[in-house]
Amino acid sequence: MTLSWTTLLPVLIILSSLIPGLLIFATPEAAARRRIILNMTGVTVKLLLVALMLAGVSRGFEFRFAIAFLPGAELVLRGDALALQFIALSSVLWLMTTIYAIGYLENSPLRSRFFGYFSLCVSATVGVALAGNMITFLLFYELLTLATFPLVVHRGTPEALRAGRVYLAYTLGGGTVLLMGIALLHSIAGTPDFVPGGYLTSLADEHALSLRIAFGLMIVGLGVKAALVPLHGWLPQAMVAPAPVSALLHAVAVVKAGAFGIIRVVYDVYGIEATTLLSLTRPLAWLAAVTIIFASVRALQQQDIKRRLAYSTVSQVSYITLGVSLVGPIAAVGAIVHLVHQGLMKITLFFCAGNFAETLGIHKIQEMDGLGRRMPWSMAAFTVGALGMIGVPPIAGFISKWYLATGALEVNQDWVLLVLAGSSLLNAAYFLPLLYRGWFRAPPAGGWHENNFAGQRLETHWMLLLPPLVTALLSILVGVFAGSIFSPLGWSQFIVNREFGL
Amino acid sequence: MNAIELYLTLGIAVFLLSLHGLMTLYDPIRRLIAVNLMGAGTFLVMVSLARRSEVPDPVLHALVVTGLVVAISATAFALRLIIAGSKNDKTDSGGGNRKP
Amino acid sequence: MNFALLSLAIPLFCGLLLLLSGRALRTRTTGFIVIVSTVASLVAAWFALQEAAAAGADIMLNLGGWETGLAIRLRLSSLSALLLVFTALMHLLIGLYAGLSRDGIKRDYWALSCFLHGSLAALWLSADLFNLYITLELLGLTAVAMVALAGPKAYKPAANYLILSLAASLFYLLGVALLYGRYGELDVLLLAPRTQADVITRLALLLMTTGLMLKAALWPLHLWLPPAHASAPTAVSALLSGLVVKGPLFILWVLWSEVAPPTLAQQIGPVLAIAGMIALTAGGLSAMRSPHIKTLVAYSTVAQLGYALMALGLLLTWQLPQMHIALWLFVIAHGLAKASLFLAAGEMQSSLGTKRVDGLRGATQTVPVAMFAFAVAGGSLIGLPPSGGFLAKWVLLEPILSEPGNWPWAMGVLLGTLVSAAYIFRIVAISFDRAQINPLDINPDRVGHWLALLPALMVWGMALSGEWLIRLLAGGPV
Repeated sequence: MTLSWTTLLPVLIILSSLIPGLLIFATPEAAARRRIILNMTGVTVKLLLVALMLAGVSRGFEFRFAIAFLPGAELVLRGDALALQFIALSSVLWLMTTIYAIGYLENSPLRSRFFGYFSLCVSATVGVALAGNMITFLLFYELLTLATFPLVVHRGTPEALRAGRVYLAYTLGGGTVLLMGIALLHSIAGTPDFVPGGYLTSLADEHALSLRIAFGLMIVGLGVKAALVPLHGWLPQAMVAPAPVSALLHAVAVVKAGAFGIIRVVYDVYGIEATTLLSLTRPLAWLAAVTIIFASVRALQQQDIKRRLAYSTVSQVSYITLGVSLVGPIAAVGAIVHLVHQGLMKITLFFCAGNFAETLGIHKIQEMDGLGRRMPWSMAAFTVGALGMIGVPPIAGFISKWYLATGALEVNQDWVLLVLAGSSLLNAAYFLPLLYRGWFRAPPAGGWHENNFAGQRLETHWMLLLPPLVTALLSILVGVFAGSIFSPLGWSQFIVNREFGL
Repeated sequence: MNAIELYLTLGIAVFLLSLHGLMTLYDPIRRLIAVNLMGAGTFLVMVSLARRSEVPDPVLHALVVTGLVVAISATAFALRLIIAGSKNDKTDSGGGNRKP
Repeated sequence: MNFALLSLAIPLFCGLLLLLSGRALRTRTTGFIVIVSTVASLVAAWFALQEAAAAGADIMLNLGGWETGLAIRLRLSSLSALLLVFTALMHLLIGLYAGLSRDGIKRDYWALSCFLHGSLAALWLSADLFNLYITLELLGLTAVAMVALAGPKAYKPAANYLILSLAASLFYLLGVALLYGRYGELDVLLLAPRTQADVITRLALLLMTTGLMLKAALWPLHLWLPPAHASAPTAVSALLSGLVVKGPLFILWVLWSEVAPPTLAQQIGPVLAIAGMIALTAGGLSAMRSPHIKTLVAYSTVAQLGYALMALGLLLTWQLPQMHIALWLFVIAHGLAKASLFLAAGEMQSSLGTKRVDGLRGATQTVPVAMFAFAVAGGSLIGLPPSGGFLAKWVLLEPILSEPGNWPWAMGVLLGTLVSAAYIFRIVAISFDRAQINPLDINPDRVGHWLALLPALMVWGMALSGEWLIRLLAGGPV
């Protein structure tokens, strides 16, 4: 193996958050400045490296790093276009979430532990993205579970511990099932690198039953993190975690790792041809459709802001699965672009929910009356996120839904339009009341529960305010400039052209 | 049934009988004696197996001798442990941990 | 072969030397001597491994120049060489802990650990059923003496351990006598082609298996293990769980995969495999309910041995010799991980002044390094990638999944994983409790905590040499 920059770059991208993470563990609690410097250096280096890889991949460079692990299954890190979509998202959102978390956790205990695991969590996420075969994917997928658990139970209260146990029971169970699926697949076809178009087409006839079972096992394993109904139970519970953790779990790390895995399995392991041949797409599409509608209905029933957002995540992430299972190029673009779009919008919503809770002690939807007058900026960002989720142009969510809808028509799956329309109506039904209360109701006569930062120039701490504004702006920009090649949409086109051999 | 077969059966019977003792008795000294009897049964089997040929088989005798040495030293060690343990039980019946 | 003999002789010689020196040396000096000799033994074992790997076949040696059949015959295969390295490494890691951690250990530990090391090395190298009996007895006696090091409280479990161990040896010895009476051979390789599936052979094998399963604490003969291992001093618990129970397992493997006729092996295979699955579940459930930290760890040994038993059972059922790779990977991964678990558990107990699982509330804050060691080692027991435990599980899963008819066995692996996750994370979750933290009892011993982490890091490091290990165990040239 020759060591060149194309070999090392994937490793460096992981190390750029792993090493700061390990150093942060060793940082004394009081050395806040050192911790911030470590965090920020890590983020900056990672962003630069990702930009480098982005430039490289768009010029056709191959980034691949491999070491021996099991017979017939190396550990492979590979930067391809699809991986970059996910890495770029997680790096940018890591930056935002780090800033937010520094502000959010100011003066709270155990910050070294928190930021240490936070960095490990990002390293694992990036590893999931860069994984070049199923074994490597499994490795980082499990590490992600381990790195997020301490974040979920960070508060250490009985509720947090209960949520943590539920989280572990789901994710470790899912991981074991995934392992079974991968091992079964390995016994049939070995574990080669991911390839556009998959590597199972020639085996589909001979091993139909085994391949179907392996697919089922892997989808169950991945579906736990992607929160496919009925495997979503952990997600609303995990809301007890601190706001930056929820933001990261929902928008980037955990649910996206599951969804990303489903994309990989369908496109790069089975391939569209084999998936269709084994008639696996239809059940997957139904599963996604049921999840979308069911979770939206559940969201409508929630009175707690974060729990409503949690069910909304369950529903929105399944758009990705839905788009993947339609196996048409346009729907595929919609799915892959939604990976980024949902991340931007959902993280905005979570940041804002965290701001409401931190500044005014607001947790319930009824308490949001008149919020727009006290916190106009946060409320504006929240509005952008919510409208985007509903699918109002030109915000990012509209682009996703548009591509999913036209993609469904292209492959003659008209029923999907009904699902999308129903879900958009439900989105509107559970988001618009919040916006209405925030902007058009009068503030409560008795004042707020808490009133931090009152009378100051900004409505809340600047580190809490900046991230949602940036991500809200980004959600609009990626929608407005969707036509450019370096927008998420343009890049998704690039990926899909390779996958479908267009 | 010739003499060798008789001894073999006897050996096995002793082994099984003392095994029963080991499993049902509680007192450590009695259990130790049971184990020793199991040993006696085993050695009886070995010695009678050695007698099957005209010239007694030296290998089996060597094994029995080694086995006896092991058994004696182990018994001594076990007795020492049991006695020390029972003394400890008498003197230190209320002691406990600092914390639960 | 000379290197292997050296690796065996160094600890025995060192142990004798310490015994003769009596009280002349200070405890620290004793520890130092033992650690140096363990390093020497490790280096010798490493060269022996190179030799065995290069040879690609078993190397035989008749001690004292006697002819085959009378002589004590030793056999060096790549497996036994690997086990030599593993034994020396475990002794080194645990010896470092015993020597450098603040609690220290009684002087007698050092001589005993030398004998333990020597008798295990002799066991891996023996190719003769009676020699194996001698090493087994030596191992048992040393192990009991080491349990008794914990002081008067441990005398009772130690005595019970000794009595059961003696009874188990007699079962084995009676079986050996019957086999010898039937075939007139004790040498494994000479016996192997001659055995037949008749009544005496069955009876002998049954007796030996019972004895060995009792010694190795394989389900359902495991009840003596948790009290004995939990009451021993920390370093000794680590040696017992990590190494000692593997000795009888080795003999069991030799017995069934080489000596027993294949028809009988195929009959007993499923029984052993099912016992393994039950061990995984029952041991895991007991660990989940155990109120004490060390008992939890000891029950996890019972559970994890279930994996090894399952691998052995399936090896025999399907007559797939390469399944022994899974078996020995489990043994090595479990040994390292269990060493870490016991050392970490012991350190947490003494730092927090409690033996109970509830006492670990807030342990991530009070004893972070030890708790981390516990979690990392636990990850390997669960079999999370890329730990050694994962490696073993993967190798075990491959033949299970390659035939649809074998799929039900995968349930065993699934259950084992979930149950071990449950008891490991029972501890980990409690340690994150911030609501009612159990404060430190004494200032924690930093060195001890870090030394507890060392074996856990090594078991995760096994991933890097995974392919090499698998090829080595497969027997071909590396």
